[in-house]
Amino acid sequence: MPADRIKAIAASNEAMLSSTRPANWRWYLLAFLLGIVVATGLYAFAHQMLTGMAVTGINRPVMWGLYIINFVFWVGLSHSGTMVSAILRLSHANWRRPILRGAEAMTVFSITVGGLFPLIHLGRNWTFYYMIPYPNQYGLWPNFRSALLWDMMAITTYIIGSSLFLFLGLLPDLAVARDRATGWKKMPLAILALGWRGTAQQWKTYARASTLMACLVIPVAVSVHSIVSWDFAVTLVPGWHSTIFPPYFVIGAITSGVAAVITLMIVIRKAFRLEAFLRPIHFDNMAKLLLTVCLIWSYFYFAEVFTTWYGHKPIEWEVFSFLHSHYALPLFVMLLGNTLVPIPFLMWKRVRRSIPALLVISLLVNVAMFTERFLIIVPSLSHKNVPFLWGTYDPTWVELSITAAAFAGFGLLYMLFAKFFPIVAITDVREETEALRGESQRGRTRLATLVNEE
Amino acid sequence: MELLGVFENVDDAAAAVDGLIAAGCPERVITSVTSVPYPEGVLVDNTRRSWFHWLALGGALVGACAGFLLAAGTAWLYPLQTGDKPIIALFPTGIITYEFMMLCAMLGTMLGMFLEMRLPDLGRRAYDPEIANGLIGISVTVNGDEMVQRAETALNSAGALRVLNDEVS
Repeated sequence: MPADRIKAIAASNEAMLSSTRPANWRWYLLAFLLGIVVATGLYAFAHQMLTGMAVTGINRPVMWGLYIINFVFWVGLSHSGTMVSAILRLSHANWRRPILRGAEAMTVFSITVGGLFPLIHLGRNWTFYYMIPYPNQYGLWPNFRSALLWDMMAITTYIIGSSLFLFLGLLPDLAVARDRATGWKKMPLAILALGWRGTAQQWKTYARASTLMACLVIPVAVSVHSIVSWDFAVTLVPGWHSTIFPPYFVIGAITSGVAAVITLMIVIRKAFRLEAFLRPIHFDNMAKLLLTVCLIWSYFYFAEVFTTWYGHKPIEWEVFSFLHSHYALPLFVMLLGNTLVPIPFLMWKRVRRSIPALLVISLLVNVAMFTERFLIIVPSLSHKNVPFLWGTYDPTWVELSITAAAFAGFGLLYMLFAKFFPIVAITDVREETEALRGESQRGRTRLATLVNEE
Repeated sequence: MELLGVFENVDDAAAAVDGLIAAGCPERVITSVTSVPYPEGVLVDNTRRSWFHWLALGGALVGACAGFLLAAGTAWLYPLQTGDKPIIALFPTGIITYEFMMLCAMLGTMLGMFLEMRLPDLGRRAYDPEIANGLIGISVTVNGDEMVQRAETALNSAGALRVLNDEVS
């Protein structure tokens, strides 16, 4: 029945565009509350700018505190969105389709939030443009030997790349949203859709460009977190100077990113009633991915600890002992969230398909990953090579407010994005059901078939 | 003139393509307009060669050169001797070169894609917003009253719900 088919597709479009419906009072209330937290963070930042870095807890020897912990955490979180999306796209994993958009948007907003932290940490933030290479009368030129310059280049590349990747995926959906929009939204959507019609030529080029962008964005994502790890590994600080750091950081980033994608999937599913699209199979597969990366992370962690323990180099062992004695609780939280809970529990299909259980596990993984960033940075700086300079670190309200503002700001950006753009990849989901799926007679039964995207 | 026949299902749309070819329209002037991509050959055969990846490659080469010149070239132009370390630091130069290369490759890919797709498309084209809801469009560009008439007949006889053109759409 063609008419029924058209009705079903229209209903499916409507359901997938549900996030863009006019906001209700709960949306406004949440946006207001998040806005207050962001405003508090902005106040704290203004206070820090006017007063100086003394209002933070960073000190000699712990020169990197909560800001750099946040930086590493948010850059890590940004990893999985685009990367998982790109890997699943390249591997033609059909279950990827409803997840893509949420994951890609997560990348863009978390790398945006993460990229702000080195600027907040700068101290004299207003001179941030000294890092940009341009001819100037001061005779200033950035020193490319500095790992911070590598960060700036890598993060700029990743923000631009992941934003382009997000826009690329959005393009046909913007046309769908344009064609269904009414009122003031129609014009901005028409501008953003760039006149897309969906001709055979456009789809062919689009598919090739998506594949090529996926191929390009994966090595960029790996390079970003490798470079972040080199901020640490290229120094001679005990506990940091390790060749395993780049892959260890990359897998840690993927772990926190996969967990964050699961958390966001659960929130989006509930908030926009997307149960028909985000089904148990999607959570099951993402949970398997999380299990795999948790196993790899645990292996890397064990390899790092085992090498340190076996070598027993005095200064390395001092940092290690300090970490275990002074930070036993955070260490336990880290191991609990990254290894002891996810690995045994995610082996069970019932847990992988249970939304409440996955919500708890995915949140726990990210609490553990934030703790891991703390444990990488603070203990090593506290007990460096010079014993008369050993110290500790306690964050102040300024750093805590800015950290809370980062989480609230991320949530606010995500809410705003979902309000204006389709949070489910409409054409990707519909491509599978309309263009690739079919039935064929085999023997005495009809079998479901799926055309390979190749 | 561009004509756009709008169909409710794939089979009718495919029959329209066959009808247009039988009516004397070359396949290169026929295209489908859909809200989801159909596999090659289901509606039309798209034989046009894609070239945009060369722009991505060009972008990568330009980016690699720019990154290398930025990091190594400026160090060489304004040498600053530090101990017995080399003037051009290979490892940082490699990182800056790589990041610039990837950035420009991605920009080249997007630019090439838009050029190949001819987007943004500011012109007036035959289009039906109901295509977003699953209707399938078959577009044909024809010249001359007789060919327009034959194409319109082919589209209608295949079961088009309506036939639009780029002047009235």
